[in-house]
Amino acid sequence: MKILSVLLRIEWLKAVKRRSFWVAVAAFAVFTALPAVERVRNAHSDPNAVFALPESWPDILGTAAGIGPLFVGVLMILLVAPEFSWRTARQNVIDGLSKERFYAGKVMLLAGLVLFFMATTVLIGVGGALLSPGAGGPGFVRSSDFGYMSGLALAMLVFGSAGLFLSALVRSSGSALGILFLYLFVEEGVARLMSGAGREALRSAAEFLPFNVVEDLGDDLAHYPEVLAEVNADRAERSLALLEFPDVEVLAVAALAYSAFLLGISLLNMRKRDL
Amino acid sequence: MHPIQTFDLTKRYGTRAAKSVLAVDRIAFAVAEGQVFGFLGPNGSGKTTTIGMLVGTIKPTSGRFRLFGASGPKGLMAARARVGATLETPNFYPYMSGRDNLRVAAAVKGVGRPRIDECLELVGLSDRAKHRFNTYSLGMKQRLALAATMLNDPELIILDEPANGLDPQGIREIREIIRILAERGKTIFLSSHLLAEVERTCSHVAIIRKGRIVTWGAVAEVVGEGSAVLLRAPDTEALAGAMEAYPDSTSVRRTDDGIVATLDSGDLASVTRYLSGQGVHLSHLAPYRPSLEEVFIDVTQGAVDSMTEIAS
Ligand SMILES: Nc1ncnc2c1ncn2[C@@H]1O[C@H](COP(=O)(O)OP(=O)(O)OP(=O)(O)O)[C@@H](O)[C@H]1O
Ligand SMILES: [Mg+2]
Repeated sequence: MKILSVLLRIEWLKAVKRRSFWVAVAAFAVFTALPAVERVRNAHSDPNAVFALPESWPDILGTAAGIGPLFVGVLMILLVAPEFSWRTARQNVIDGLSKERFYAGKVMLLAGLVLFFMATTVLIGVGGALLSPGAGGPGFVRSSDFGYMSGLALAMLVFGSAGLFLSALVRSSGSALGILFLYLFVEEGVARLMSGAGREALRSAAEFLPFNVVEDLGDDLAHYPEVLAEVNADRAERSLALLEFPDVEVLAVAALAYSAFLLGISLLNMRKRDL
Repeated sequence: MHPIQTFDLTKRYGTRAAKSVLAVDRIAFAVAEGQVFGFLGPNGSGKTTTIGMLVGTIKPTSGRFRLFGASGPKGLMAARARVGATLETPNFYPYMSGRDNLRVAAAVKGVGRPRIDECLELVGLSDRAKHRFNTYSLGMKQRLALAATMLNDPELIILDEPANGLDPQGIREIREIIRILAERGKTIFLSSHLLAEVERTCSHVAIIRKGRIVTWGAVAEVVGEGSAVLLRAPDTEALAGAMEAYPDSTSVRRTDDGIVATLDSGDLASVTRYLSGQGVHLSHLAPYRPSLEEVFIDVTQGAVDSMTEIAS
């Protein structure tokens, strides 16, 4: 157990001095907080616009889901890949960290980033509710809110794992970022082709492409059936196709599988290659 | 217990036969406690690769090595806690200060904060410790690397070209630090292509060429190996020609001082007899102690001038 705290301390020392770390954290906080600030202002002027918990969780989490996962992925790349180009990964190993421990440190960094981003989001929600007049319904989080939070955390985890995987694979932050964005672009095209295909199997497979899973997990409609029902009723009126989401549990399992796969390959790659 | 022992240690980069490079080829040597051991070789001869294998960042293709007697993964992990090492250029986080970089290294090595200041002091970096690493001069970077290796007060210090790119003043400072460490009883293994440096600082030396160890041992032994003689005669050309034809001589060099020949046997009497038989009359004949540089040039013969030559 002591080793875990040592690894965490090492990653913390490395991250706190990094300007891009704080820039990313600040940007995420601002992006997530701005709509909340707007809603708090409205709540003060308009008695019908309420900002209260737990009712406002879908809004807050939805805003965070728009950028959070990508931010975690990019930050992982910015924090991990340069360790190879600066050869500090090599020096860490020479100094006595085994390759496995170096890797474990990076997994802890990933977990830390996800927790940090989630905590920021929750704080913004709580802060906004405290600053607004009026009280919300009973309870602070409903089980569906909790499900949405977990889904968002999983979405961040998948992106972060992809960031770690690409960093370990190409060992340069520029190329890793390039490949990440290229992949997102390509997957979107492939998904469109697949869901337009006649075969049912292809269409449902498209649902489970990694980026799609992440998007669904971050979508409030996947977590709040009553909201989905409203939206679909509206769409039915305008004779639009109804929206469908896979079960959240299934999405969660898919996300965990992707994450485990990416992290596993990264570990094997770390083990095999010279530093 | 030997801090370092290698047994036919080999590294081949790349798997495809056509493109692979045999960087280190079955090398075997041992470094005993308290030695200042110079690992000498021309560019591309495999010094960094060898050190990389010892410190665990490069996987050997075959062969073994021991650090403080340990060779299994667990034993090596424990042994490495007694080692401080740098590989090639100083590797640090460019955005952090010198001190913060040492804090990371100290956390990795599990040593406390007071040690950081001691090491900064030893390498004379205390007053620049708060500055960012990427503002350091090369000499300061090298000294920070030395400070980092010393954090865990290692018994064995491994340095890869510690004087690389330094001016004479910087080289002297590094030499001074190495001398202090050696006096404290540390075992030091350093690679270099600076012959005079190695001759000055090291007690022992191994000369590596194209991945093979050509000779190794105490500096005095390596230098004295093969008995060299210095010869002079009124007719230098005739003397050189005669010595080249002499069956007992392994190498003949023309120097400003005369002809230096290495003999298989130290039998000077037969040399005089042979030469007068050839009609060459000596004006001077004496045992000759070559510098390490001469031994080096002799054994590495013209050094290495292309990558393909190393590979072949
Ligand atoms: N990662 C690598 N992949 C392929 N070949 C490599 C790699 N690293 C080193 N080599 C080759 O292995 C040989 C030995 O290189 P090494 O860096 O060990 O030499 P060196 O003695 O340290 O040289 P220098 O004095 O220039 O530092 C060289 O031919 C080099 O090109
Ligand atoms: Mg080298």
